[in-house]
Amino acid sequence: MRKTVGTLLGKSVAGAVKLRGRSGGQALPGLVVETLVPGYLGVMLRQLKDGVVIITGTNGKTTTTKMVVELLRGNGKRVLTNPTGSNLTRGIISSVSQQARHAGRLPFDIAVFELDEAYARQFTDVVKPRYVLGLNASRDQLDRFGEVDKVAEFVSGTMLSATQGITTNADDKRLSMAAKAAKVPVTYFGVAPSLLKYFPRDDELVAVDAPSPILEATNVPLAVELLSFKNDAARYRIGQETLDVTLQVTGQHNFQNAAAALALARLLLPDVEPAALVEQLSRVKPAFGRGQTFRLKNGSELQLNLVKNPASFRQGLASYVNPSAKVMVAINDHLADGRDMSWLWDVDFTSLRDCDVALTAGTRAIDMALRLQYDQVSVGAVEPDIDEAMTKFCVLPSDKVIFATYTPMLHLHAMLERKAGKEL
Amino acid sequence: MTKLHIVHIYPNEMNTYGDRGNLLVLERRAQWQGLEPAIRYYSAGDPFPKEADLILGGGGQDSAQADIQADILRIGDKLRQLVDADVPMLMVCGTYQLFGNRFMTSLGEEIKGIGIFDVETKGDPKRLIGNVAIETEEFGTLYGFENHSGKTFLGPNQQPFGTITRGSGNNGQDKTEGARRHNAVGTYLHGPLLPNNPQFADWLIATALHRKGVSFAPKRLDEMLTAQARANAVARGY
Repeated sequence: MRKTVGTLLGKSVAGAVKLRGRSGGQALPGLVVETLVPGYLGVMLRQLKDGVVIITGTNGKTTTTKMVVELLRGNGKRVLTNPTGSNLTRGIISSVSQQARHAGRLPFDIAVFELDEAYARQFTDVVKPRYVLGLNASRDQLDRFGEVDKVAEFVSGTMLSATQGITTNADDKRLSMAAKAAKVPVTYFGVAPSLLKYFPRDDELVAVDAPSPILEATNVPLAVELLSFKNDAARYRIGQETLDVTLQVTGQHNFQNAAAALALARLLLPDVEPAALVEQLSRVKPAFGRGQTFRLKNGSELQLNLVKNPASFRQGLASYVNPSAKVMVAINDHLADGRDMSWLWDVDFTSLRDCDVALTAGTRAIDMALRLQYDQVSVGAVEPDIDEAMTKFCVLPSDKVIFATYTPMLHLHAMLERKAGKEL
Repeated sequence: MTKLHIVHIYPNEMNTYGDRGNLLVLERRAQWQGLEPAIRYYSAGDPFPKEADLILGGGGQDSAQADIQADILRIGDKLRQLVDADVPMLMVCGTYQLFGNRFMTSLGEEIKGIGIFDVETKGDPKRLIGNVAIETEEFGTLYGFENHSGKTFLGPNQQPFGTITRGSGNNGQDKTEGARRHNAVGTYLHGPLLPNNPQFADWLIATALHRKGVSFAPKRLDEMLTAQARANAVARGY
């Protein structure tokens, strides 16, 4: 009964939102169903024979979720997942009701959801996940979370709610310590000790002296280990096998995310050969605004990269900055971006000295330009209006890279989907 | 070239909210003024640097604060001597709290401080987070961002650093922000503080040099972006 009523309600609210042409109405059907049909989410998700899997952590949730979903689908599983950007419980209720049949039946085998680290608890209180993947815990939106230890507490709490297994990052000491309290089996992914310097942990992001003392190698057996990488190619050890793969998903951080996805996939698809998983992984394309490229009207390529905190900005700079590309940095300070700009001072921008930073944009365009001034990086122009900035940026010759916080990334993504190659 | 010895205390532990930015601003502005900044990091257990013209400390997590507490008590006398010798210091958030008499956690535990400022901090589950503006007599309006769970109260003779015109400051009740003794300033403003308030950064530098007997007439620098950033700080709606 609840299944049918909740599903119909969710679908009709979603229909009404659409009819009125309102954007950003993802959460509204979820809110209505959550209020009027308590317990809907739990009842619906209990239908899934392979249960629920949660992916959470500071960075890499969206890309890793996409990888895991595609690995499962590639092996014949019918997977329910949440669309990008709705990683709160209400967004998930909305997408469950919209993807259910009218009688409330969910035509899926398994659900894989990325969950916002702070809101995951709301979800796990209602639905116990079978497996949880905890990616990392790093300084992020501290105006929301207060402290890094708090972020780690959220992620760890979600991991410990798993009923069958946990996968986590052996190199993230806050998470790997927390996983020791688990009553279910834990598997680990990690990177070879020689690669640790490319994947700084939170404490190393801001360490001033030689970071080597904190860079101890991990001493847990790794289900999946990143052994080496060069350009877009990586070598993994999975169990006893060594496997090479070239990814379409660019950015060195995604080699680590791929290790996480493979480790989780080994739990979810125990009968599939590692070589087959790796082959399927090579076909996954970049997720929404995470290294996606667009072809512009003047023939140049533009790559859009989400940056949300010191770790992700640092990985973005390490992966995508090259002297021939023009750069634009778009920084907003809305709630979803983080209202506190101090994190920009935890990022080292000196690698941009050799680049042409054509523009800074967004509500904090000036703060960004000032930040760059102190790293002695010159900026072509400061243009807080993002549309205006894009008009100026896109006509420039040569390839382009944009680093954008969450809300400008959404805006730019929508704009590029609509206009790239036509008006821009 | 005149050397300016800047000591950054506990850089690895106390650095949660972009504290590196304050150091970077001092370093660059000193360079732009033709000085030669020399930066020394002080970590727990190190001998305290002999030359310290200007001392900086940042904000940390509660756990980091507990980690460095024993060490800061060890060097407390040294720091007090330097404050009494008029060395300029900027202590932000967690280090500011440890420069006070004590921190009472919400569980009733006492974390002793070094008592440079006559202030006491009480742990409180409600964090004070948001954009801040304060008025100071010497530096005019300063803009920053605060994010702290401790509420700090000044002793009867303790001067605040400034008066809150926006945000919460020491405790969200009495409109005071930070504390000042001689040339040492404790404050909750991170953001970090110095990029948006270069007049205060330059005062720290000038005070350090005057104390060494170096006459220093700062050149005017290009502050166009800073002026715009300050105007934008006023306009930000949170």
